Amino acid sequence: MAAEARTGPLDFEVWVSEKADALLRFAYVLTGDANLAEDAVQDALTTACARWGRVSRADDPEAYVKRMVVNAHISWWRKFRRREAPAADPVRTARAVSDGTAARAESEAIWALCATLPDKQRAAVVLRFYEELSYAEIAQLLHCAEATARSHVHRALAALKTTLSTESTEGAEDA
Amino acid sequence: MPEHDPEQELGPKLTSALHNQAAGQSDLQTTGLAREARRRVRRRRQTWSVAAGAVLVAAAIGGVWSFAGGESPVATSNSDSSGDSKAAAPNTAPGVAPSAEAVGCPVDHPILKAPGPDAVPPGTGLDLNTMVTGLRACRYGLAEGGTGLLGQESFNAATAQQVVNEIKVLPERNAKLPVFKCAPQVSKPSEAIVLRFDTAAGIREIWVWYDGCESAGFFTGTHTYGLFSAPLKLFMTGSVRPSGGTYLEALKDW
Repeated sequence: MAAEARTGPLDFEVWVSEKADALLRFAYVLTGDANLAEDAVQDALTTACARWGRVSRADDPEAYVKRMVVNAHISWWRKFRRREAPAADPVRTARAVSDGTAARAESEAIWALCATLPDKQRAAVVLRFYEELSYAEIAQLLHCAEATARSHVHRALAALKTTLSTESTEGAEDA
Repeated sequence: MPEHDPEQELGPKLTSALHNQAAGQSDLQTTGLAREARRRVRRRRQTWSVAAGAVLVAAAIGGVWSFAGGESPVATSNSDSSGDSKAAAPNTAPGVAPSAEAVGCPVDHPILKAPGPDAVPPGTGLDLNTMVTGLRACRYGLAEGGTGLLGQESFNAATAQQVVNEIKVLPERNAKLPVFKCAPQVSKPSEAIVLRFDTAAGIREIWVWYDGCESAGFFTGTHTYGLFSAPLKLFMTGSVRPSGGTYLEALKDW
């Protein structure tokens, strides 16, 4: 096994130490939960380790492993496992908060909204705005049509727009 | 174009919010991922090896079982549970001799050299009051140049007992059958059937004579029962069903 990893162009341990942080942050944005993120990354790295010869020869091993993270996250069995897991702390509804900056409040509102999105919709949003992938690439990753990927993102944006306009209205009333 | 507005308007906000959240997350455990991945891969492979080993052991045990000539427990179970009178045993095509005697019918049987139907070897004939637990019907060719096992069928205990019950009530001869007169050279039957019953004391036989023109009936060596169609119908099936026979043609309803 160790020999298999070392015969590839990249050493698995070295590569993981370089990319772990980026992978975990991506997984965190995707899942919205630190434990789920670590779990998803660990599963993806286990799969990558088993076939490191092929993964390391890919054009972009990081993208390859991120794809594994996405697949793991949207897979049915992981959803089932999540359903069995203890519920996470309730997400705080974003409002204009003590630091007083509107940008900070908006960022919180967006994050809170992401927590309410269905898995595929959230994955599409993250891939579009965090990874900055094209709709074609997102569709390929999510195993759906390009129009569906576009629809996922636009629905999320519509919900976000509604939330932000409500926030601003309520903020104005509070003021 | 209006469709793209929300993306242009909110896209940068989303990008910024997601990056802020990612950057602000400091609780993520970044060490030991590679080591854990390797450990899991090793464990997964060990599991696969154990599973593959178990499959190999099971296959080896199955192979030894077959080689020893025992009937598969699965087959036995099937034959027992089904209402079919035929047991799950070999069923060879007519004219094709089975390769192993272990399946039931000996390729070289005394009937092939017997001078007549009464020549059942002493001690091998069935006492019809004995309980039987199975039956193998073996059809042998007796004609010059065509001797040998022609076919065989297996039957379960219920059918075996039914055959015995049908035979033991028969008279010594069937008076309705004609008496044939033929030249000695054609008097010998071209074929006959040996019924091999499983009993507590081992295999016991009844010879069934139905061709030629010497005699016909069921022979145990000590008793003779006339040839009637009722018992014949129970075991003359598949490769054990003759295409014809002098006495069978006279019986008509066999």
